[in-house]
Amino acid sequence: MDETKIQSFLIVFSIIAFALALTMIFLFAIFQKRKNKLLLERQEAENRFKEEIIETQIEIREETLRNISWELHDNIGQLLTLAKIQLGQVEENNNNVSEAEQTLTQCLTELRSLSKLINPNTFRSLSLVNALKMEMERFNRMKYLETKLTFNEESFELDTKVEIIIFRMLQEFFANTMKHSKASKLEVNVTYEGDTLVIMAIDNGIGFNAQSGDFEGIGLMNIKSRAKIIKAEALITSQLGKGTEFFLKYKNQNDEAYRSSSG
Amino acid sequence: MGDVSYISYVLSAIELLASIVATLHFRKYQFSTEKWFLYFLWYTFLIDTTGLILKIFSLSSFWLYNIFTISSFLFFYFWYYTVLQSKRFKNLVRLLTLFYLITVLLTNAFETLSNQGYAFFIGAIFLLLLILMHFNQLLNSNEVVIIKYKLSFWISTALLLFYIGILPLMLLGKYIDVKGEYFNVILLSLNVILYGCYIIGFIWTKQKYNRF
Repeated sequence: MDETKIQSFLIVFSIIAFALALTMIFLFAIFQKRKNKLLLERQEAENRFKEEIIETQIEIREETLRNISWELHDNIGQLLTLAKIQLGQVEENNNNVSEAEQTLTQCLTELRSLSKLINPNTFRSLSLVNALKMEMERFNRMKYLETKLTFNEESFELDTKVEIIIFRMLQEFFANTMKHSKASKLEVNVTYEGDTLVIMAIDNGIGFNAQSGDFEGIGLMNIKSRAKIIKAEALITSQLGKGTEFFLKYKNQNDEAYRSSSG
Repeated sequence: MGDVSYISYVLSAIELLASIVATLHFRKYQFSTEKWFLYFLWYTFLIDTTGLILKIFSLSSFWLYNIFTISSFLFFYFWYYTVLQSKRFKNLVRLLTLFYLITVLLTNAFETLSNQGYAFFIGAIFLLLLILMHFNQLLNSNEVVIIKYKLSFWISTALLLFYIGILPLMLLGKYIDVKGEYFNVILLSLNVILYGCYIIGFIWTKQKYNRF
């Protein structure tokens, strides 16, 4: 073999090998780095989601406790007081015994529905529509608001965590309606359409000026940030004197699609 | 009978193997633009086998390989045009294809062998640019996480390694004598890398990830 030929072969071979090795290392490094960054971001997003869930659950619990305290004070407390007065008048008029009995029966009914509300298992096993039904029936019973819930029969399984967040968003909207809007009517419509869930909530209150960014309390801001977390579309529209409207559109995502939105 | 190196046989065999693997795994990428690669691999195999037969009978295969080189570059450009998504990249592919065609016309008008080298050089540089654009697209998407299941990634890697390797070989070939057996050994190694990457890609790829 010719020595110069071998030499030139070695030179060319090593240059090419070097070029290939460098390319491969570079490729590997750059893709690995990018992958790690993406995974980290995803992990963070997941953590944020978990934190939000926990926060939401705590809020729901607090809201429930507040409701219980109201009911005990306004509803059951009043009824028991009435029963006590009625029993106190027994000597004067025997009619009052049966009246007191009626009041106590009513009182028991209220207590039962209240205990249902407190039981955390009840809420966990409830579907979104049923939870809404319970919440809105309570408004009716307490005579805060006149409510109407409509929904279609078709439905699909929602992730419980997503359900909790959606429920909390609506609860916040209801709280806003009761505290600020002076509304007398509240209407909610839940529609399952294919893999999309659309919820409309409308009150007939005084409304607010949405343009001026005059969001009453941070409740409504919370609704927006929560919608973002479950990747839902949320819209709150209002006009002074014409009530407030809450629109929510949620597209059911399977777990994987939720974790990686395809690019 | 012409003097045919064993390397030509090995090359045809590797191409045949890659084509067979591509055919066996076809259902995994049949709905993506990578499906064109199946036909392209068989086309390559046919061309090289024809070239081999021409060599055995000591016939010139210059035009065969000239046309094959041009058509394969045009095929790669077309494929990257379908794979790249941004409007800017697509326009750039159009522009580069036009430039390449002009180069090919010019070099064939002044028909000498060294000029053919220029056309190949330009074609390879342009192809490397397209590969980098494709990598840029992959890096800026969420697909990075499942990159090894994407056939397009393996095709780009194969082409990148092959052309990064073959460019210095061509450039140095002008100054250093690397003809004959040595040249063939290096060329074969690069082909092994090229078809090796293809084969890994065909075997590893998963249908649901062949989106772009």
